[in-house]
Amino acid sequence: MSLDTLLVVASGGLVLGAIYALMASGLAVVWTTLGIFNFAHGAFIALGAYLGWQLSHAEASGLGLLAGALGAVAAMFVIGVCFHYALVRPFERKANIVAASVITTLAGAAIIENGISLVWGPRSKQMPRLAEGDVALGPVVLSASDLVLLVTVAAILAGLGWFLGATRTGRSMRAVAQNREAAELMGLDVPRLYAVSFGLSAAMAGLAGLFVGSIRFMTPTMGADPLMKALIVVILGGVARFTSPIYAALIVGMVEAYSSYFLGLYWTPAVLFALMIAVLVLKPSGLFTSHQRTL
Amino acid sequence: MREATQEPILVVSDIRKSFGALRAVDGVSLELRRGEILGVAGPNGSGKSTLFNAITRVPFSADSGVVLLEGRPIHDMPPHRIAREGLARTFQRESVFPSLSAIDNVLTAIEHSSRRGAFDRNVALAEHALDLAGFPATLHNWRAGDLPIFLRKLVMIGAAMALDPKVLLLDEPASSLTPEEIDRIRLLILKLRGHGVSILLIEHVLPLLSGVSDRLMVMDQGQVIALGEPEAVIRDPRVVEAYLGTAA
Repeated sequence: MSLDTLLVVASGGLVLGAIYALMASGLAVVWTTLGIFNFAHGAFIALGAYLGWQLSHAEASGLGLLAGALGAVAAMFVIGVCFHYALVRPFERKANIVAASVITTLAGAAIIENGISLVWGPRSKQMPRLAEGDVALGPVVLSASDLVLLVTVAAILAGLGWFLGATRTGRSMRAVAQNREAAELMGLDVPRLYAVSFGLSAAMAGLAGLFVGSIRFMTPTMGADPLMKALIVVILGGVARFTSPIYAALIVGMVEAYSSYFLGLYWTPAVLFALMIAVLVLKPSGLFTSHQRTL
Repeated sequence: MREATQEPILVVSDIRKSFGALRAVDGVSLELRRGEILGVAGPNGSGKSTLFNAITRVPFSADSGVVLLEGRPIHDMPPHRIAREGLARTFQRESVFPSLSAIDNVLTAIEHSSRRGAFDRNVALAEHALDLAGFPATLHNWRAGDLPIFLRKLVMIGAAMALDPKVLLLDEPASSLTPEEIDRIRLLILKLRGHGVSILLIEHVLPLLSGVSDRLMVMDQGQVIALGEPEAVIRDPRVVEAYLGTAA
């Protein structure tokens, strides 16, 4: 066992952690503001990947990777807003909104996944790599594609932090997340902010889908495994601050990379779930949190 | 009396709200005059807060009834529009955004009001609103959730005043406070009225209520049982009975 091997495994864990951070942050935005768990987040990941493929791939529209990614992310924002108005908004003031939204978001996931099958067929596809070649950073050699991914995710998450902390809409989303009633009394248009939250979450899922599609094969159900990982991340880290899922995502990515290397791929889910159960028993509100459901 | 004129700024007609078989608010009507402080008293469960909820539509609307603000119907507007029309409210519990700083709490209100402008100007307005509420300038950047209860109440009042409201609904601003703090709230309420705001005030601390109110309204079991000069209302046999259970 050489240090080099450990570093290679660590860089793999870092890439996984970055993708999970992107997905979990998107999931957490909806979870904290609306108080519901969006089971269609995995389907958003798949749809974002397919839209990106459709727009960018040479066999399809062939606009190139950057234009394809931007187009897919923008389209996912609109789809997220529509999804909210069609499947969540009608039940918003009902007492059983949490249960109702489980059903409606699962239904939405089924519709999206089967829609993908209808439009693009069941054969798996793959996104092109984000960049070619390798980059040496000291002793660590990263593929240029991974480096692009890491830098993009870091920039997006930093942008999200800035958006939530320093912009009017971001501050309003935090306010609504913390106290919906007081927010309404202060003149905040809560339904519109909910729709924006859903759109933002879907856009982040779509981007995560593009990244997943560049390291794995794309299938209509490709979002199921990432959704499960994002769920573990959100439970592990809590959602008290928007940074909590990011730390937890890096932990999950590292644990997954090292346990895949040392214990084997098939043991990884068992290790992750054992970790999650341990956290649920010992610190149910998450590792990095003292309050629940704020942003 | 005092600065109040006879002209009503808020007219509430025949508001009704039931929860199953319970008639929480059972046909309440009132007129708040311009510049007036109208006190609302009544035993626990008499429907005071439900009336406020029904007027502001947060968190629920009335089953029926009409609410006019300066003659314009507001009872079918969404809650955020009602706030922007000039009807502000504070909650009984300290409803602030705990992880936002005190100044950001108020800034959030400004940024969604008609007074919204450039960022620096919004911050100046937010600072002004906190000053008006008597909130210490050194604590503007404290997380609201870390503040003591009295200061959280001031943040809430500051945020409500930041909307530049015509009518302010205060729901038990003195609950859980010490006598010294209650006296500061009393002075604050009079100061807000001095800024031209008409106030509906729910309060259990009766000396505070009768001390600042121009008129007093007492509710029991969802209905108005007395309305008039505070001194006369407090002596009203029906009011005494509602509070003590039997006629004294």
